[in-house]
Amino acid sequence: MAKTRITNSIRRLRFEHGEMTQQELAERVGLTRQTINAVELGKYSPSLEAAFRIAEVFGVSLTEVFRYGEEER
Amino acid sequence: MSFREKSAWISLVSIGFVGFVFFLHVPWTLTPVPGPDTARALLGCLVALVVIEIVAHAVVAIRAPLDAQAPKDERDLLIELRAIRRAAYVYAALSMSAVSLLHLGANGGAVGYGVLLALVLAELVNYGSRVLSYRRGR
Repeated sequence: MAKTRITNSIRRLRFEHGEMTQQELAERVGLTRQTINAVELGKYSPSLEAAFRIAEVFGVSLTEVFRYGEEER
Repeated sequence: MSFREKSAWISLVSIGFVGFVFFLHVPWTLTPVPGPDTARALLGCLVALVVIEIVAHAVVAIRAPLDAQAPKDERDLLIELRAIRRAAYVYAALSMSAVSLLHLGANGGAVGYGVLLALVLAELVNYGSRVLSYRRGR
């Protein structure tokens, strides 16, 4: 199955924010840990609202977390 | 594996197993005459299905209570909706096929069993689709 073209920097951002766990991020944005994992791996593209909540947790803009048609930085 | 994926596996296996056992007791003809044996098999299978589902879900929930209590998120809902849609197509097609058996000389019993088979297969598609979606991550 081809991965979505939406890439993200969630793994890096988690690391830069005190090595935040997927579970902690999931609880703060109201998703399950499995969904955060699927988003990180590019298997699932979150809703716009969830994407904004993820960016809000890290205190960055949406485009610093998600990009379209680019590889992970 | 999340609680919801385990739940889908439980339902897939239990419905498949109980459905298989029940249809072993159904006469595969166009003019079956449902008797007390078939009625007992149907009742027994329904009770067995309910018991298996409750016990298996309880065991899984006890082993991971926080995971079991977590509300569904958007991906869970998307997976669920996609699975139900696929199952609905299967149920509509197969149940209409079962009803059309009337034109081949089938009696009401055959149509009833056919519709029940359609329901079982649709549920297998429902839970099978969920399992596949969780395995794929979306």
